[in-house]
Amino acid sequence: MTIKKTHAEWLVALIFVAVVALVFQQAATDMVEQGIASGGPYDNAAAYPKTIALILGGMVALQLGVQIIRRRAPADADTRAVQIRTLGRPALMVLIFAVYLGCLSPLGYHIATPIMLAALMALCGIRNAIAIVVPAVLISLAFAFAFEALLKIVLPGGFLHLNIAW
Amino acid sequence: MLADSLLLGLDQFLTPLTLMLTIVGVIFGLVVGALPGLGPLMGVVLMLPFAVDMPPVSAMGFLIAIGVGGSCGGSISAILLRIPGTPLAAATLFDGYPLAQKGRAADAIGIAISASALGGLFGGMVLILTAPLLADFASNFAPPEYAMLALTGLIAIAVVSDGSLLKGLMTGALGLLIATIGTDEFSTGFRFTFGQYELLNGLHIVAIVVGIFAISEMAQQVHGRNLNEKPTVKAVRPGFRTVILTLRHWKNLLRSSTIGAAFGALPGVGGTISTFASYAVAKAFSKPEEGYGEGAEGGIVATESANNSTVGGALVPTLALGIPGEAASAVLIGAMLILGFFPGPALFADQPEIAGGIFMVYLFSNVSLLLVGILMTPIFVWVLRLKKSYLIPVVLLLCAIGTFALQSSVFDLWVMMGFGLVGIVLRAAGYPLAPLVIGVILGPLLENNLRRSLLISREGYWIFLDRPVSTILVVVNVLLIVGAIYWTIRQRRAKRSQTAA
Repeated sequence: MTIKKTHAEWLVALIFVAVVALVFQQAATDMVEQGIASGGPYDNAAAYPKTIALILGGMVALQLGVQIIRRRAPADADTRAVQIRTLGRPALMVLIFAVYLGCLSPLGYHIATPIMLAALMALCGIRNAIAIVVPAVLISLAFAFAFEALLKIVLPGGFLHLNIAW
Repeated sequence: MLADSLLLGLDQFLTPLTLMLTIVGVIFGLVVGALPGLGPLMGVVLMLPFAVDMPPVSAMGFLIAIGVGGSCGGSISAILLRIPGTPLAAATLFDGYPLAQKGRAADAIGIAISASALGGLFGGMVLILTAPLLADFASNFAPPEYAMLALTGLIAIAVVSDGSLLKGLMTGALGLLIATIGTDEFSTGFRFTFGQYELLNGLHIVAIVVGIFAISEMAQQVHGRNLNEKPTVKAVRPGFRTVILTLRHWKNLLRSSTIGAAFGALPGVGGTISTFASYAVAKAFSKPEEGYGEGAEGGIVATESANNSTVGGALVPTLALGIPGEAASAVLIGAMLILGFFPGPALFADQPEIAGGIFMVYLFSNVSLLLVGILMTPIFVWVLRLKKSYLIPVVLLLCAIGTFALQSSVFDLWVMMGFGLVGIVLRAAGYPLAPLVIGVILGPLLENNLRRSLLISREGYWIFLDRPVSTILVVVNVLLIVGAIYWTIRQRRAKRSQTAA
């Protein structure tokens, strides 16, 4: 199964449409309730985002038109397909990173970071366990030293309140 | 005024912290520049969270030095591996790699570093001489001029960014909308905050920049490549003799530095175009026996002096007007705002010591580049042997902890992650990312001055055509858009007729 640049273009167009819709929805509800959606340039805080959203909406419509016309034209170099399975590694990278961010507060830096680093190293193709574990722990400690001891930043301690007194 | 500013700046500059950070910045810049896929912008982005807690001139010295080192570092991998570390070094390939193949790799790297440093110093002189003049001229600007100037900066970036004009303008508009999140300065109402107190001050620019550029770049790096490759590179040690070799091409050096500084000062043009332009000009002026494309020293001098001179040129509109010429300058403006000073005419009038300090650190970073670059080349060559499989996790950790360190906020981490995803999707669809960041930076400047203009206007939007500078900027904006549309249509037609043929 493959994915083309045009698929991503449709997704982005959808995101832009959602953004434009959100601007108008907020201007019509929340900003009206606050009383900042009418009046002159000083009082009307909704006019500027609405104007930008309107211009953006126009450009999205134009872009959609371009995409529709291009669909009818013969395939060119821009429509090169990417195998979906090749996207597995970037997707996993994002997932590992997102899980790390989610676990950072509850588990704490000193538990979550070596695990994240090891998982990313394994994902990037390192297969030797020692070549993963030793650098993961050392890099994690080096960063902790740089931030906690040198920059005086308290990293998340997690449920165990793990913070090294450097 | 200039002499006062420089003298006051000297006080700010001559501190152990500033000197040390500038040298560290150059070294870090050379490392990120040498590593293919990173580059000066990524270097500045990754170090931004650390810089925001430093004294202003030290922080700016650190970030500017990363830009200076990073602009030069790409030449090392271009010369040794035939892989430019950054797009800025792409033109250095033409003669750098053939010269290395002739057994003169050390000379090639030495010339690249010397030309970069000398070109950078030339760019510094341009910056010092022109930025105060431009700031003085801009001190007469009123809200209509500022609003139009912000729009010009944004449109120029969108026009020259990779991808289509329409896509550039769309990401720029998205940036402008993102900048409206938070408390409105005029009415003090809340916009797009959804009851979240974390959003009252808007989204942190560092979280946005790190997510958009760094996270999306790492996702691209892990896509479909062998990340365990360890390139084989021979150790090289250039000497200071290469400075003499470079100075033998002094005409070329001056010409290319002038091209670099001029292109750098134009919003959106940037280093890559200036290096190719200066290479083409140097080749046109060269004698056939110089052998451009076959390892000519002059070819390396042209491209490297231009790309570092561009950094100085790009700082002119950044400091004098507060309008970034390219993405790295936009990040620098973000840093300045966080550090508590505002680029533009007010910087030169009210805080001349900061402006002077920035001039000094820029000049010193180029001097450091010459010394550190030549002395530490073996280390930068060793860095080329680092596996991506170690580098990517380290960069991601730096993104996460650096962003967390800003305000000890987990919310900022999720903002970074969210913008990372946005960056990945936008890249996949061929949308340029720089206009988005520039939109976020210029958004408040545009909105505040637009609303102020309308407040003082009796004829609504006609105020923008009432004043000469503002009118010129309106015309420039229209010409930029019309020109870009014409160029796009012409390119499409040429492509179609080529396909038909």
